[in-house]
Amino acid sequence: MMGWTREQLEAPAPLSPVPAGKEPLIRIRQLVKRFGRRLILRGIDLDVYRGETLVILGGSGSGKTTLLRHLMGMLRSDEGGITVADVGQDLLLHTADTQALESYRRRLGVVFQGAALLNSLTVYENVGLPLVEVDQLPPSEVMPRVVEALRRVYLPAHEILSLKPASLSGGMRKRVGIARAIIQNPEIILYDEPTTGLDPVTVNGVNELTLDLQAKLGVTSIVITHDLDAAFKIADRIAMLYLGRIIAIGTREEIRANQHPVLQQLLTGSTTGPLTEAYLAGHHVA
Amino acid sequence: MNRKTTILERYDRSTSVKAVERIGASAISNIQVAGRAVLLFLDACAHLPQIGRSAATLVRQIDVSGIGSIVVLSLIAFLTGMIMAVQTGSELEKFGVISNLGAIIGATFVREMGPIWAAIIMLSRVGAAMAAELGTMTVNEEVDALRVMSINPVRFLVLPRILALVIAMPLLTVLADIVGMMGGAMVASQMFNRPTDEFMASARSVITGLDFFSGLGKSVVFGAIIGTIACDRGLNTTDGAEGVGRATTQTVVLSVVFVLLSDLVMTSFVQVFLKQAVG
Repeated sequence: MMGWTREQLEAPAPLSPVPAGKEPLIRIRQLVKRFGRRLILRGIDLDVYRGETLVILGGSGSGKTTLLRHLMGMLRSDEGGITVADVGQDLLLHTADTQALESYRRRLGVVFQGAALLNSLTVYENVGLPLVEVDQLPPSEVMPRVVEALRRVYLPAHEILSLKPASLSGGMRKRVGIARAIIQNPEIILYDEPTTGLDPVTVNGVNELTLDLQAKLGVTSIVITHDLDAAFKIADRIAMLYLGRIIAIGTREEIRANQHPVLQQLLTGSTTGPLTEAYLAGHHVA
Repeated sequence: MNRKTTILERYDRSTSVKAVERIGASAISNIQVAGRAVLLFLDACAHLPQIGRSAATLVRQIDVSGIGSIVVLSLIAFLTGMIMAVQTGSELEKFGVISNLGAIIGATFVREMGPIWAAIIMLSRVGAAMAAELGTMTVNEEVDALRVMSINPVRFLVLPRILALVIAMPLLTVLADIVGMMGGAMVASQMFNRPTDEFMASARSVITGLDFFSGLGKSVVFGAIIGTIACDRGLNTTDGAEGVGRATTQTVVLSVVFVLLSDLVMTSFVQVFLKQAVG
């Protein structure tokens, strides 16, 4: 941290020009969010390119979850906003009405940290829920698609269809959550801490699954995590979120070579540095 | 002339001011909860035409809330009917009007005790469980998952739960009325040697159709109140397991308060206005 001032540490990374052959699917500009008097997001600028896997790294309290909830269309920004490219007119998430948001969410699959399966429903009912409740498909059409989605995440469909989530292991629950997220063939998948709380073998399985889905389905993936190994394994690009700002963004190699003290502390796992200072200053409770 | 306040006076003032502040803050918070619950109820009503899509959940909720409450409600209503009969009967006997015991027990149950006991059982057994279930779903991001899938949680979770209570409550109230009077009739027969026919005839002589249907009407309102408060508290749960506990407690406390408040309003309306209008 030698020689870095507070302003330099928290300075936002400039937006890079869009590379040739890439097309921004999601554009985040000057996104600001406050909860009461707490400033959580302090002007996020970020482009997400179509078909890429973007990993957003950050320590506790950096604003990862708040950013994710904006991307889900569940929070409205106080300033700035998110634009999603669409056929015809682009969608402004921060001003979208309920109908436009529902239409956007049909392009979206979300893998929640704890899978967020409904405990009162079976695996079949959980995975098929969007097809039954939103698309209102008959059971004859739902069943084959549920089986196919479970097969894509390497689960033995016919053995677990009638089980409740409580009788599955953590890794299986996560896979069922991914199956539910992909069953409507989404264009964008948001992953919230997909590997947290899983054993190393299952973590590798989930990482491979993420890569596999991107290769087979060509989806745009945004992964929010603080798992460095997972980030460097699956990311096309990595963005570092620190105290509500993107302070670094680049390819895996660019991030490894970046000398920003926040990144260096995260990469080395040191207990001294700006991340620790932010925790001690109470920013982690945001 | 200014007089210096003593430490005791300063202490008293600060504690009393704090107490008033706490009461005021609590009152404002409860009014906010009530306002939000009314909006939630109206939102649920707006989804009523789509209840067919939640038919399975509705049936499951009626089973859990209604069928599951039969035994405990019957026991409590039976015991209450017996206790009331023992207390009232011994006084009536002194004045030689024990033959009116059925009228007193019957009217009390049909007008008040039936709906109130059904409400107490529902809010403590079903309302609290409902708030805990929805609270756990909220903190586990299951409700967020529904929203992200464009599934409206009010249509999918709230409407079937409120409707289940609205359907189950009148049925449980009729059960409480019947079982409570059976308890009273048993005491009349075994303790005061009065025939059951006399007890029932006495009850029938005072219970009007208005009494019966106003009791059922109350129970419908109680069901809507309990279901709405439970769902509202559950969906607004924060702070993990501690928040789930808080949501459960708030559901029971607020439901008791609003059930009794609405009972007062409805009873006053029936007794003062409706009975005069009917003649």
